[in-house]
Amino acid sequence: MITRLTSLSKNVVQFCRFLRLKGFAIAVEDEASALQALQLIDYNNNKKFFLALRSILCRSKMQLNEFDDLFHEYWKQLDKIIDAKIKDDAEKKQQPVPPHTQFKSLKAWLHGNKNDDIEETAAYSMQESLSKKDFSAVPDDEMDELMQNIKALSRRLAAKSNRRYEYSNKIDLPDLRKTLRKNLRRGGELLDIVHQKPKRNRVKLLMLCDVSKSMELYTAFLIQFLYAFQQVYHRMETFVFSTSLTRITTLLKQKNYNEVLRTLGAQDSGWGGGTRIGESLDTFVTEYGDRLLGSGTIVIILSDGWDTGNTEQLEKNMEIIHLKSKKVIWLNPLAGYSSYSPDAAGMEAAMPYIDVFAPAYSAESLRRLGKWL
Amino acid sequence: MNQLKDIKQMLLAQGYITDDAVAMSLFLSLQLNKPLLVEGPAGVGKTEIAKVMASALQTDLIRLQCYEGLDATHALYEWNYQRQLLHLKMTEHDTQSIDEKEKTIFSESFLMKRPLLQAITHFKKPVLLIDEIDRSDEEFESFLLEVLSDWQITIPETGTIRATHIPQVILTGNRTRALSEALRRRCLYLYIDYPGFEKEWLIVKNKVPGIDAKLGEQLTKFMQELRLQKLEKIPGIAETLDWAMALSALHIDHLDKNIIEQTLGVILKDWRDTRQVQLSLTELMKKTGIISKVDKL
Repeated sequence: MITRLTSLSKNVVQFCRFLRLKGFAIAVEDEASALQALQLIDYNNNKKFFLALRSILCRSKMQLNEFDDLFHEYWKQLDKIIDAKIKDDAEKKQQPVPPHTQFKSLKAWLHGNKNDDIEETAAYSMQESLSKKDFSAVPDDEMDELMQNIKALSRRLAAKSNRRYEYSNKIDLPDLRKTLRKNLRRGGELLDIVHQKPKRNRVKLLMLCDVSKSMELYTAFLIQFLYAFQQVYHRMETFVFSTSLTRITTLLKQKNYNEVLRTLGAQDSGWGGGTRIGESLDTFVTEYGDRLLGSGTIVIILSDGWDTGNTEQLEKNMEIIHLKSKKVIWLNPLAGYSSYSPDAAGMEAAMPYIDVFAPAYSAESLRRLGKWL
Repeated sequence: MNQLKDIKQMLLAQGYITDDAVAMSLFLSLQLNKPLLVEGPAGVGKTEIAKVMASALQTDLIRLQCYEGLDATHALYEWNYQRQLLHLKMTEHDTQSIDEKEKTIFSESFLMKRPLLQAITHFKKPVLLIDEIDRSDEEFESFLLEVLSDWQITIPETGTIRATHIPQVILTGNRTRALSEALRRRCLYLYIDYPGFEKEWLIVKNKVPGIDAKLGEQLTKFMQELRLQKLEKIPGIAETLDWAMALSALHIDHLDKNIIEQTLGVILKDWRDTRQVQLSLTELMKKTGIISKVDKL
């Protein structure tokens, strides 16, 4: 009985290590808790054993979902292989390819089109990027994570403080003037203290997203990002443009994402067509500029800057947008590539009026957006 | 309280129907004396767990409701400033020294205990419910971590207060914000989802004893189907029970389109949802098997 017990506890420890390999953060303390728990239950009962380990070793819903499979995988393999130590190495090899390598190959391909001498790699990468086309549509659980990130971002945005103060019912800074005035009626005895807190700024966001041909690979992902952002952050206006401009704010506010996609697809607004950034921005400035731009608005433009339209017009309108808004952020999917320089004609014209120029090619880079807002 | 099955029995005695996963988590949380973090959609009975635990353990429930902007003063303690001031005013002409006066106004009777301090100074081991922890700010979360690991609170004017009993802590959240790893590490984790048909029907039977069996089954099925719709606010178990009680009070023994339409306000609390369900009601009823009844009428 004793030998059996020690081998069980050894196995549990081994199982914890296995989970760590799979990305679970398990502290030594948790291992101890798991072993302690086994003393409390009837561990010969498979279901109880499973439930006990699960409630101790899991830390989030995602892990709960994974745990079932991992648990069965491990104990099944253990039945097969007597020497459990061989397993460790085998598991390491099974680790999935990290997602950023997919982006790398895509970037290589995008760059490769301009460079003839690395044609071979370019062709290879192209195949790869086509087969991994679903990278552009974020998988559900990653979407969940992206949502969480955007939520955190929008909370921070909503909490940006101002230099003025406003009334607060929290125990914050005392407002001396109001306190004195309020307590005068009690003969100047300071019974009630009035508090104040820094006033909050409500940043408005304005998104202009390029959906032309050159952006095609990124569009699905960007739309998903815009959709997620619109769901959690309400002070936001969204436009898409290619040859003309379309306002999609209300559309993105819908609950059902698939419906959003369908309606977007049905609207014929030159998706996957050429880009006329200048004209689109001109429409924006003349039709919406006065209403939507202001000193509290951050303008975010998502585009690669490949422009077939009028460069002068682009420059003029960028200047207006720059003057009328708080900040202009240009997110360029190509800018993530190390040798990238903004030499597309449109990009060059817009450059002087951009406060922040940043890459946008993955969920990670969009996450970094928080720094600029 | 030493056996797993006792827990289930105990919860059942309080009218709380549960499954093995929940019972196991509660059992281990009690035995290992670790906080239990409960997550899940709104209305699946997360808060109820704490209430039931408290009454099952025959102890008190101390509740800390979290919200954005909750700070230490609201969670720990506050000096009753007005009372201190009035006290000083009243004893203005006494001959007490300043030291003595200070001692009096910073004594326990001028201290307003907030939930966390209350919980650790309670005369017996209470259940401490920290509700909707994900609504509080990150600063508060890290502050909470400190209290949850040390079980002591320092008040600068009087000194450190140590826990007389370490409370049984239950934290709830519905994932509006990702909680920190550090907090998760200190807790056991439990995710409660909407109940399946069997479980929900059992709950309805248990909570609304007078309900007609056919009505109960129909309405539970309808609720199960309703949750699969894309709604703004998905109805929870509380709504099912409200509906069951309402229909049972109206002496209705089966569902039909009219009744559902008239009582939709009990389960749906958003006008867009109401409209959507009204439009797809026939389809919904077909799926739940209520429609054949209407056809005949």
